[in-house]
Amino acid sequence: MSRAERHRLTSLHDVELATLAASGDRQAFGELVRRHGSAVRALLRRIGATATEADDLAQDAFISAFESIAEFRGEGTFASWVKKIAARAHARRYQRDKRLRMRIEAAEPEDVGHSADPSGRMDLDEALKSLAEAERLCVSLCYGAGLSHTEAAEALNLPLGTVKSHVKRGLDKLKTRLAPDGDTLEGRRGSG
Amino acid sequence: MAVAELEVERALERMFARATELPDADAFVNRVQRRLDRGWAARRILIGGAGVVGGVIGASQLIMSNLFSRAEAASSESARVLTSSVRQIAPQADWLFNGPAGIEAIWLAAGLAVVAMGLVLTRIIEEI
Repeated sequence: MSRAERHRLTSLHDVELATLAASGDRQAFGELVRRHGSAVRALLRRIGATATEADDLAQDAFISAFESIAEFRGEGTFASWVKKIAARAHARRYQRDKRLRMRIEAAEPEDVGHSADPSGRMDLDEALKSLAEAERLCVSLCYGAGLSHTEAAEALNLPLGTVKSHVKRGLDKLKTRLAPDGDTLEGRRGSG
Repeated sequence: MAVAELEVERALERMFARATELPDADAFVNRVQRRLDRGWAARRILIGGAGVVGGVIGASQLIMSNLFSRAEAASSESARVLTSSVRQIAPQADWLFNGPAGIEAIWLAAGLAVVAMGLVLTRIIEEI
């Protein structure tokens, strides 16, 4: 790809790139992958995938997005659309492995034994690791991938009430453990 | 839901949305593009292969059914009927049949039309 072509693509909005991709322009789609690839991979890692699994799932999600790009109408952001595809794919993989159900049934909330910060507060990645796996998964699907509780329940094939409980417990733990940019969610909550 | 609770949720969404670029971001893009290119190439090969197989089957059927000799006979008969019909309807169209190429020109045009339709069909399949 020439420098001028690259420059032209980088100057376009996501929706314009998606329109080009819908007409078969793979370079335009490549620009979308360049812009949002890291965010999708980071989300998958936060949900609980290993780095390798996250890369595989993110690749599958982008390929799947390219194949169904005509369905993207620009109503939400392209990133959130791909994140939802990736998160659902992760949930399906978990279900297929039957690991999730076993772990949820056996899940005992883990206590935080360490912290990256001497004050006892940590960043999002560390805080998520301190949650039980089901809590981490449900919180990440709802707040990271933007799925509703109902959508998350469907993706995980779990009762809605179970998902809500996991989210609630996960949120309660995160509130006390997160320290975003030196601030805490409790602090934000207080100021809100 | 309390306003404070919503604030907490929004803060969490913002934190999730904040993701730094991973060091191997370019390599990831290349991997996705390679997979897209492979898929594209595979689709072209599949379409081309299907076209070749279809052509071979079609050609063999034509040869097996002795179509050409029958078409030749039918062609002579239809050309005669066509000529007389057109002469009845439009006597001034004589130039078409009495020209240097005559009836062959019509068959040539029909053949070109079939080829053009084939190209259009191929293009449509590629688009799909």
